[in-house]
Amino acid sequence: MLPAALLMLPLLLYVVFAFGPSVATVYFSFTDATGLPGAKWHFIGFDNYDRLFNSSDQAERWRSIRNTLEFAFLVVLIQNAVGLLMALIVNRKLKGDAFFRASYFLPVVLGVTVSGLVWRMMMNPLGGPLSELFKSLDLPTGFLSSYGAAFEWIIFVQIWMYMGYSMTIFLAGLQSIPKDLYDAAHIDGTSRWQAFRHVTFPMIAPSTTVNMLLAIIGALQTFDIIYVLTNGGFNTRTLAFDIYRDAIANNTTADYGLASAGAMVLFVFVFVIALVSLIALRRREVDL
Amino acid sequence: MNREPRALLSTRYLIVLAVLIVYLIPLFYLFNVSMKTQIEHLKSPVGLFEQFRFHNFVTAWNKGDFSKYIWNSLYYTVVSTGLSILLSLFAAFPIARQYVKFSNLIYVFFVMSLFLPNPLVPQFWLVNEIGLYNTQWGYILLRTGGTGIAFLLFVGYIKSVSRELDEAAAMDGCGYLRFIFQILIPLVKPVMATGVLLTAIGVWNDIIGPTIYLSDSKYAPITRGLFAFYGQYLNDWPLLACGIMIVAGPLVVLYLFVQRFLVSGALAGSVKI
Repeated sequence: MLPAALLMLPLLLYVVFAFGPSVATVYFSFTDATGLPGAKWHFIGFDNYDRLFNSSDQAERWRSIRNTLEFAFLVVLIQNAVGLLMALIVNRKLKGDAFFRASYFLPVVLGVTVSGLVWRMMMNPLGGPLSELFKSLDLPTGFLSSYGAAFEWIIFVQIWMYMGYSMTIFLAGLQSIPKDLYDAAHIDGTSRWQAFRHVTFPMIAPSTTVNMLLAIIGALQTFDIIYVLTNGGFNTRTLAFDIYRDAIANNTTADYGLASAGAMVLFVFVFVIALVSLIALRRREVDL
Repeated sequence: MNREPRALLSTRYLIVLAVLIVYLIPLFYLFNVSMKTQIEHLKSPVGLFEQFRFHNFVTAWNKGDFSKYIWNSLYYTVVSTGLSILLSLFAAFPIARQYVKFSNLIYVFFVMSLFLPNPLVPQFWLVNEIGLYNTQWGYILLRTGGTGIAFLLFVGYIKSVSRELDEAAAMDGCGYLRFIFQILIPLVKPVMATGVLLTAIGVWNDIIGPTIYLSDSKYAPITRGLFAFYGQYLNDWPLLACGIMIVAGPLVVLYLFVQRFLVSGALAGSVKI
């Protein structure tokens, strides 16, 4: 039974480093665990949850929740809408379409550090080209150091990074649609919009359901772009960033209990939103 | 398919080019700054560079200690991608073929981690407890797994190919490991390149992982190195631009060769829950 024995290796790694810690988060969230070596841990009930929302920084905590939802909603919506539009545009013969596709996908390869730092230079108030452009157009130029707009600029960079990924997934879906469906639609005299509404969209819906769901879950949990662009400054923290901040970045306390309670709150959001999205997306598939 | 009117075709080109500008301007700008001197940049931050100054790259390379970081990144990426691909095959094959009990259940169990609470805190505690904090192997172990994107791609693909090959191999009494290397790997070739590349890109570009688990700068990968470099030379823009380009350059060149594996159909439709 070598196949079963070898399956144990990935299973073991998964249980020890991913599944186990995920489940243990529940336990941690009810204790006063910290990073201090040798300190005894106690069971403290819901104290961490209480601290999360009834401390002096509660305004910032609520801001984190708001930001998390805003980020997931705007990123998933715009990234997929633009991705689908671009996929439809480059799916038909265009000169240089391979070059366009490759360019749009490039930021995924460059990664969050390179992409983030390039945009930090672009948006730098002292001579960044985007900042100069906005100045000449009399537009606000605070960018990543503006309390009002820094988070929206992070959302912009995130969408810039992953639009090409969404486009690629939609392209693959589009290319799997049999051509004769369009021929039939053409003979029936359908308009372009009708062809999209009644042929293209229903055909790509099933393959996009899963990808949309993964995008939503991913967007709720990601924070590397925030780390690179603002490190949480200027009202740009999210729930996921707070977990990292409470547990590790805030070296003086390394508050495991509080961070775990934050992880549980995020989990509730992920679970509910994923469930609602899944039901909505599946129902849409049936309707079409 | 019906021919489209000229106006529509022009609109398509217009949109595609406008979006292209948003994607290429940052890179062009980076190159432009990297060719300037500090004074040239201060005089006219968005003006064109006066002459090629490739020596700027040498300066940045030495000041940023990039050779050390690149070596670390290569080490982490090669080892953990190699191991992850192997483990993904170990996991994907029996599950896709239902050769073990509860295959579907194990699959759901693996995919579940996407929805479960963020494991960061207990994971960090555990890594500290077992002495893997701030060690290269600890980080590699954390980045290695058989349940990521490659696993999902393999399961989807293996399900779509016929069983005849593995049954024939079983009848020949071919050993399982030989089967994996001689039959399974060639079999999953269409998704192998995509699986390897996406896994490798994930490790190479990881910045949060090294920030948390590798505090010692001698173990830092290129992402950490670049980030620290940026913090250190915040006002020397040409140097910063060179640093970013040193990291981006090899990726762009590599991408030219492998992009057909990434920008292809292999990505879509293979992930099912």
